Amino acid sequence: MTDTHVADTDDDRAERADHVCADCGRRFYTEDLLVLHRGVTHPEALDAAERDAYREAYAAEERAIRSFRLRALGILVLLYFGFLFLYVIYAS
Amino acid sequence: MPRERSARESVTARWTVRAATLGLALVGALLLARGVAASNAAVGLSEASRDALAIPRWLYVATGGAAIGASALLAGFVTDRGFVERVHGWRRDLSAGGRGRTLATAVGAIVGLVLLALVVYRGIAGPQLSTINFAVVVVFAGGRAGLTMAAYAVGNAWPALNPARTLSSRLPNGFLTYPDRLGRWPAAAGILLLVWIETTTGVTDTPRTLATFAAAYVALSVVGAVLVGGDAWFRNVDPVATFFRFYGRVAPLAWEGGRLRASLPAMRLVEIDERSESVAGQSEPGGDARTAAEGTAATDGSGTTRQRLVTGLGDVAVAVALVWELTFSGFVTTEQGAATVRAVASVGLPPMLVYAALFLGGFAAFYGAYLTAAHVSVRRVLTTRTPRELAVAFAPPLVVVAAGYHLAHYFAFFLSLSPSLTAVLADPLSAPTNPIVLTLPAWVSALNIAFVLGGHLVAIWVAHSIAYRLFPSRLQAIRSQYPFVFVMIGYTVASLWLISLPTATPAFLG
Repeated sequence: MTDTHVADTDDDRAERADHVCADCGRRFYTEDLLVLHRGVTHPEALDAAERDAYREAYAAEERAIRSFRLRALGILVLLYFGFLFLYVIYAS
Repeated sequence: MPRERSARESVTARWTVRAATLGLALVGALLLARGVAASNAAVGLSEASRDALAIPRWLYVATGGAAIGASALLAGFVTDRGFVERVHGWRRDLSAGGRGRTLATAVGAIVGLVLLALVVYRGIAGPQLSTINFAVVVVFAGGRAGLTMAAYAVGNAWPALNPARTLSSRLPNGFLTYPDRLGRWPAAAGILLLVWIETTTGVTDTPRTLATFAAAYVALSVVGAVLVGGDAWFRNVDPVATFFRFYGRVAPLAWEGGRLRASLPAMRLVEIDERSESVAGQSEPGGDARTAAEGTAATDGSGTTRQRLVTGLGDVAVAVALVWELTFSGFVTTEQGAATVRAVASVGLPPMLVYAALFLGGFAAFYGAYLTAAHVSVRRVLTTRTPRELAVAFAPPLVVVAAGYHLAHYFAFFLSLSPSLTAVLADPLSAPTNPIVLTLPAWVSALNIAFVLGGHLVAIWVAHSIAYRLFPSRLQAIRSQYPFVFVMIGYTVASLWLISLPTATPAFLG
C-alpha cells in the first residue's frame, strides 16, 4: 500500500522533469541539464549536433560560474575584513 | 501554468528556508554566547590561569566556522572536472599481494588471538589498577586510540586481527540468511551501545569488568558470525568491525582487487559513479532495488571494483554516530559538561537518565540536521535526485570529519600513554613496576584545533568531488553543497568549543 503510494509520487515528480536521457533514462528538469549530463556522462554517444549543443551549454555554464566566482570573492573579502576588525577590537 | 505555480512555490520555499537558516544561526549564536558566559562564571579563576587563548572563546569558535565556510567557497573555485577526477582517481600499486598477504593475515590472526587471551587473563588475574593493567592499556590506548589512528592514517588492520573472525571462519557457518532490510542499522545501534558502555559503566577503570566484557563480546560475535555467516555479520552487525571498516576507508593504503594500492588520503571515499550504477538503489521501491544497493564501485579508472562504503541510511547513521560519539565523550568529560549533568540531575532526575537523554537526543539532532541538509539541498537545486540519494552520497565525508575529531581527542592521550603501552606489550605477564606517563608540551593541545579543522577541510574537498560526479552542471554541484556546509559549520563549532574547555576528569584510565 505504502509502496504504491511512493511509486505514484515518484512518477508525479518525474513527470515534470520531461527531458529524458536516451542512454540511461535519467530525467532532467531542463534541456541544458540534459545536454550537460550527456556530455559529461556519455561523451562517446554524442552526435555532431549534440556535441555542439554541449559546447554551447558548457560555455554558458562557464559564464555563470564566472559570476559565481565574483560573488564568492566578495563574500571572502567581507569575511576577511570582518574578522580582521573583530580581532582588532576583541583580541588584545 | 502549473510550472509557473511550482516555480513560485519553490521561490517561497527557498525564502522560508533562508529565513529558517538565519533564525537557527541566530539562536545558535545566542546559545553559544550564553553558554560561554555561564561556563566562564562556573569555572571561575581556576581556568583563567590555564586558558591559553588570548581571544574570547566565541571569536575563536566563529573563526573556525568561518574557515570552513571560506574553504567551501574556495573549493567552489576549482571547476576543472578533469583535475577533480585526477585528484581522487590517483592510485599507485605497491605490491602484487599473493604470499605477502597470506603471511600477514596468518600473523595477524595469531597476534589477535594471543592479545585477546592476554586481555582476558591479565584483566582478571592482573593488578586491578587501570593505569598498569594489560587489559585496560591495550584495549583503550592500543585499540581505541592507536589502532584506530592507524586505521585512518595508514590502513585497516582489524580484519586480519579480529579474533572473532579468525575463530568463526574455522567453524561451520551461515545457517540463517541475514535480513537485508535491516541494513547497517544493527551496527549503528551497536556502536552507540558500545560508547554508552564505555562512558557509563566501569570498563575503563575496572580491568575485571573489561575482561569479562571483551570475552562476552567475542563470544557473541563468534555465535553471530556462525549463525548468519562471517561476511554478513562483520559487514552489517558487528560494531567494532564496522567502526574500523569506516575509518579504514579514509586510509591511503588498501587491498583493491588483490593488490595493495596507495591513494591520496580520504580520496577512496569518492565512490559514486553515475556511469555505472544508481546512487542509492532505493529510488524505486521494491526488493531487487535493495540488492542493487549493495553495489560495488570503481573509484578510479582501473576497473577494479570494491564494495561501496555507504549504500543506505543505516550507513549514514553509522557515519553520524562516529562523529557524535566523539562529540559526546568530549562533552561529558569537560567541567562544563559535568556541571551541566550535575545541574540537571540535581532537580531529581536519575543521572543515568540525563546521560541517556543527552546521548540519544544529541545523536538524533546530528542525524536530523544532516538529513534536513539533504532535503534542503534537493529543494535548492533543480534535480530529480531524492533527498535520500543525496544523504547517502554525501555521507562518506563525515567519516573524515570523525577521523579529525578522533585525532583531536586521542592523539595526546595516545602519546602520553605510549610508554605504558610499550611496557605492557613487552612484558605482558608482569605488571610494570614504574609506569611512565609522558607529560606533553602545551603546543600539542594546539594541534587539536588543526586536526578538527583539517578533517573538515578534507571532508569539504571529498564532498566537492562527489558533487561533481552526481550533478551534470557544475554550478548545481556547488549549490548542492551549501546546506551541508552549514551543518559542517555547526559540527565544527560544537567540536572546537568542546576542545577549548578544561577537562574535568581524564577521559580514560582516570
